[in-house]
Amino acid sequence: MVIKQNRKSSQQIKEEILSQLELQPLSVEQLRKNIKDSNWSTVNKYLEELKEDARVREIVSTDKIKIYQKIMGDTYFDLPITENQRKKFHSLFAMIFAEYKKRNKMPTKTSVAKCAVHVIDNEKAELKDLPIVWYLYGMVPLMAVETTTEYSEGFILEKRKEIQKIIIEFVDENGEKRSSQIQKEQHKRYNEETYVLSDEIFEILNKPEFDNKEILSLLSKFFIACPVDQEFLEIFDLTNSVIAIIQKMDLMNLSLQQYRKEILLAFDSLWKFIALYKLYKSRTEGIKPMKKEIILNFYLGGAIGERKRGIGESLSELNSIYFNKLADFDVDKIELSEDVKEIRKIMENWTGED
Amino acid sequence: MGKDNFLDTNIIFHYSNYTDTASKIIEKCYFFVKNKSGRFILCWAVLKELEEITKKRARFHKAIIEKIKDTTYSIEDSPLISFRDIPFAKQIYEKYKNKSKEEIEKLFQIERNSSELKIKKFIQFSIDERGISLNQIDGELINKIHNIIPNHADCKILASALQLQKDRELFLFVTADGKDLDPNGYEFLKGQFEINYSKENWKFPELLNLVYTN
Repeated sequence: MVIKQNRKSSQQIKEEILSQLELQPLSVEQLRKNIKDSNWSTVNKYLEELKEDARVREIVSTDKIKIYQKIMGDTYFDLPITENQRKKFHSLFAMIFAEYKKRNKMPTKTSVAKCAVHVIDNEKAELKDLPIVWYLYGMVPLMAVETTTEYSEGFILEKRKEIQKIIIEFVDENGEKRSSQIQKEQHKRYNEETYVLSDEIFEILNKPEFDNKEILSLLSKFFIACPVDQEFLEIFDLTNSVIAIIQKMDLMNLSLQQYRKEILLAFDSLWKFIALYKLYKSRTEGIKPMKKEIILNFYLGGAIGERKRGIGESLSELNSIYFNKLADFDVDKIELSEDVKEIRKIMENWTGED
Repeated sequence: MGKDNFLDTNIIFHYSNYTDTASKIIEKCYFFVKNKSGRFILCWAVLKELEEITKKRARFHKAIIEKIKDTTYSIEDSPLISFRDIPFAKQIYEKYKNKSKEEIEKLFQIERNSSELKIKKFIQFSIDERGISLNQIDGELINKIHNIIPNHADCKILASALQLQKDRELFLFVTADGKDLDPNGYEFLKGQFEINYSKENWKFPELLNLVYTN
């Protein structure tokens, strides 16, 4: 007897395509191989339909290969999460909003994000499968919080009671605090030195008045704390470029406060670059890491390039200030301590050759 | 006014590192620049190399700071420095290992920033001509020089000098390189060019190697 198999509906195939693309971008051919009972033209046809519905985007299109990426729309840089993770995030966010609502408060995005991280990072919540990442303002859930979205608890989290307790604990402790304070406290709690220092640097640069010494001491600490990664030596090189110009302006006896705007712009563009690197590291290390080449080729590569260009532009602003002042500055008047002279002496035959 | 001077990277770098306790060669470079007696010419390969050296110096300093932060950090395996840097890094680390990381960074930042300021000011106000951009350098000429001189950066600078020398009065190629560009080596290079590429009519600038002057 021949058992007649039910053919998959177009909806089922589309769901399978989307599910496959949750992991990483794939070519039509790769999708065809991964989806049972499908052929190239079927997969291609449904991908075109999904593209029209803005569910996927074509990120590589040549005569030989077409690669598609699922549009997440709710994660940083569209980094992939599974549907299951999305549902869990929604439930968690809904619970947090509800707790604030009980207290007649409307939380900020930061408060919700930090509370979510607090929950996810607590083993009792058993939500370790939800990705959290370091980015611009510290550690946040990979799914971005929106205060305008109505999150619902469609998916009941397994450890709901425990989670509720952790949320209450967080809101009790932080409910009255400003977002920036919660953020800074998180940076300190996780002992993330570059984040702690960047908070302090931004704070000084946003003050109406500051001394050169205040900012220089922090920049020096930032130089010391700057991460060194063999694959990303540019992080250090660019950090040095930004800090060195500011230090040189000080050596020329310029009041840094006068150039607050330009310095702020330069540090801000540097920080955006470093934060992106931190995001990259968060997703390529730890639980279920993504492959480095996939994250760079399909998700962050473009943004990394753009942010590097941003640093270049803001540096040229600072450069032009200090070049203009250089004409009147006697470089031979910089006093060097005996220790600096000694270092020079040791380095005399150093040529920088590889 | 003396002859035009085509400057090698080391002249400017040494000039920028001058102190009253500096060695003879650094002092010579400093006073050569200070007592300018002819036009200064710089090629883009030198500008590029200066940029690279300043970047490498900051990395070098950072490697020592990493070691001071964490004594188990291996200078030998540091991605921040090259093999040739290791003895210098070790010597500085040994001398200053008892200072705090903030103190040593303060010394380093003044060391590199004062030198960079001198370089910038020199480039902006003392250079009379910038010749031969990076994409103008003749690749074949580089290869010909590379058969004799191993350092690729030196080859690019020398190639730039030869290209620039072609249609003008003899200028000085001023260097403080006692290894690849000593007078004998330079004569040998000229001789090889006369033997192998005489039809190409390359004209060599006059060598002024400050290592070998009084």
